[in-house]
Amino acid sequence: MHVLFLHDAFPAQFGRLGLELKRCHGWKCSFLVQSLSSCPTPTTEMLESLDLHQLPLSAEHRSSDGIPWPQIFGMYLEQCQTVFDAVRARPNLRPDLVVAHGGRGAPTLFLKDLLDCPIINYCEYYFATSHRDISYRIDLPPAEPAPFFPRCINAPTLASLVDCDAGYSATHWQKQSFPARFHSRIEVHFDGIDTALYRPGPAPRRIGEASLPQGTKVVTFVARGLESIRGFDLFMQVAARICRQRTDVLFVVVGGEEIHYGWDKLHTGSPSFKQWVLSQGDHDLSRFLFLGRILPEHLADILRLSNLHIYLSAPFVVSWSLFNAMATGVPVLASDVPPVREVVENGVNGLVEPLFDIDRLTAVALEVLADPAGFSRLGKAARRTIEETYSIESCIPPIKDFFERVAILGAGDSIKELSRDPSRDRLV
Amino acid sequence: MAQDPLHVLWVEPHFPGRLGAVADWLVRHRGYRCWFYCHTAEAREHWPASVGRGLELQVFGVGGAAREQAVAWSRTLERSLCYSYGCWEVLEARRPRPIDLIVGRSAGLGSTLFAPVYAPAPPRVNLFDYYFHPRQNDLAAEIAADTATAYVHWRRSANAIELLDLEQCDLAWTPTHWQRHLFPPEYRHDLWVQHDGIASAGPADNTPRNVRAARRSLAGRVVPEGTRVISFVARSLERLRGFDRFWHTANALLRARADLICVIVGDPVVQRGLDVQHHNQDYPSYLRKAVAPSDPERLWFLGRTTPSAVAEVLAASDLHLAPGRPYPVARSLLEAMAAGCVVLASDTAPHREVISDGQTGLLADVADPDALYRRALSVLDDLAEHRPLGEAAAERVRSRYSQEVCLPVLAERFSMMAATRRGE
Repeated sequence: MHVLFLHDAFPAQFGRLGLELKRCHGWKCSFLVQSLSSCPTPTTEMLESLDLHQLPLSAEHRSSDGIPWPQIFGMYLEQCQTVFDAVRARPNLRPDLVVAHGGRGAPTLFLKDLLDCPIINYCEYYFATSHRDISYRIDLPPAEPAPFFPRCINAPTLASLVDCDAGYSATHWQKQSFPARFHSRIEVHFDGIDTALYRPGPAPRRIGEASLPQGTKVVTFVARGLESIRGFDLFMQVAARICRQRTDVLFVVVGGEEIHYGWDKLHTGSPSFKQWVLSQGDHDLSRFLFLGRILPEHLADILRLSNLHIYLSAPFVVSWSLFNAMATGVPVLASDVPPVREVVENGVNGLVEPLFDIDRLTAVALEVLADPAGFSRLGKAARRTIEETYSIESCIPPIKDFFERVAILGAGDSIKELSRDPSRDRLV
Repeated sequence: MAQDPLHVLWVEPHFPGRLGAVADWLVRHRGYRCWFYCHTAEAREHWPASVGRGLELQVFGVGGAAREQAVAWSRTLERSLCYSYGCWEVLEARRPRPIDLIVGRSAGLGSTLFAPVYAPAPPRVNLFDYYFHPRQNDLAAEIAADTATAYVHWRRSANAIELLDLEQCDLAWTPTHWQRHLFPPEYRHDLWVQHDGIASAGPADNTPRNVRAARRSLAGRVVPEGTRVISFVARSLERLRGFDRFWHTANALLRARADLICVIVGDPVVQRGLDVQHHNQDYPSYLRKAVAPSDPERLWFLGRTTPSAVAEVLAASDLHLAPGRPYPVARSLLEAMAAGCVVLASDTAPHREVISDGQTGLLADVADPDALYRRALSVLDDLAEHRPLGEAAAERVRSRYSQEVCLPVLAERFSMMAATRRGE
């Protein structure tokens, strides 16, 4: 089997999957990518053993910053054109299956003119016009595009979805974000967490150059970007209250200052949501370590030091960091929102409290910090949850089976066709 | 079911467009009060009667890509969003209230996408005409292979505004089953098929057509007694509506019969961008250069004319030709049927939905170049034998496609939607 993976970045969702499919099953895995990711970074083995093809980067592709929202679909079409040109220029790149990430629409729209194979969309998310994702934080000052952008942001996703042969989402909640009419075409297959890297165990009690005094409790907060959709501002409010109650807590914050989702720059007028948040409160920054983006191995060590991991996302795609923390066996305190509740069962493998209830979040965090041993069972259960349901070992066999089923069906004879009610197709 | 008067906001890029006649009928027959938001409007003489008397017209401006003469294929949605945004800006400025229902038609541009930002509560209905397939329907099957790759890419991407409207409207509405079938399977179940109806041509002329045929005149020219008249009517004289086929068939018929005149109504300049090879060009001139007309004196080009002049042509026609490519059925075809014309159309799926071959008209396989000619000649040879086809066609339109039949159904649906939203 030869699979062509399409994603802006590498390795992202597909690098590790491709590596496993090659290593364990002898599949050929090719990738068309625009850039190598820094979160997570590719391993040497991935770079050496997988078939990577670099897409040319136009000025528009280098950054989505500053692109007016009405032009997002045009940018998507240009990306589709870039992918089309790249495949046409490589006559030997003729896969049995294309698997394309559809976060901003899978750039596969023109491939059916070149490739006679099925196309699978990775259906990451379908944005809502209210009450979820970038529209959720109504507590922040309004941003001018807020009423309009969510009404057109899904155009690339829809265009690629109606054209693909099958789709899959990482979680049930992500699948449910899509219109119900598409649910029969979308399976649920999680990407797979590296439980060998993210595992419980001792870690050196130092972070960078700083050693950690005995008895110091560590609270972690991890996000790709420190932004409102991931509740960074709410975390800082909770942290400030914990600081007033306990002097033995160090807060370790991992994540860049880039804004990946929403309108934090417009909400705040500041280029950095982190800086805006820090300027709003009277924070004792000596109690915080802001590490920026770090390598996965470093993150795994930090999570092993953590006594409590706080995850305060709005209803949106659950971050890998939550899964990583659970795999490491850290007790997790998370926002009580549906995507989190799919993974975290309150009191069983973690704790959930209402996102905006700073009083409750603080009280529960203090309970955990007061009795880490008493809450260690939650971390152990979290590890089991990841091993059984979300680990690479448990996730890859069903994904492989899914890919094989779609590839066998062939282009145009796909899940879309099989799930269709023929009575609905009659012309008159 | 009661059909209560409603306050309706209509949005369509051009007025009266497709929805103007519907709004007008609902104002005049059901007491509706309507705001019609558009970007451009026809000359006043083409406005329906209720404008200013229950139907208030409001023009909105557009910015950005929508102000450019033409945009690259990759920017069509950007242009659509500019239309939708322009409409929202004027809604915010004018603040029409109350609104029970919003009805829109994007028509490849943009309409109601952002209207709920101003008025989130009223249910939203969208009329959907067409969904592009990369290499099928309209002219695609014939020209896609010889046209730049960008043409197919444009067709693959041109449905974006329709998809957004489909996802965000409360009722997706399409006039025919064939149009419904164009849409992806996931949407077909939710697309409500209801034709918007053909206006009756006024008080019925009960004079038998054979009597009328003795005293015909068209655009001020008298049609000699005993002359056969064939007609072709389209917004513009283009390949999409089969004007090339008509041209070749008409020439052959003119050679075969000395008693024939061909009356042609439509703008000679191709207006739709679908024909990328002849867009904005005078297509009849192109055909004249390729194939000279066998008798130009008997080809009567009336240009783009008024509805009453079209009605005059259809009343005089012995045979109406509609040899178009697969595309939503032309209103002129239904109007010809309503007028009792014997209609000969291309045998396509959209035409088969309204014409039962041999019962309410005739269909010809256009893959056979002579089929259209042979069937036309057989009609012209014996008008009396084919007259029942015209009478059955008129009855078909009266019973299925007249405003009097179609629009009460629409009014009932609108009424139910508004009542449901009010919690009744």
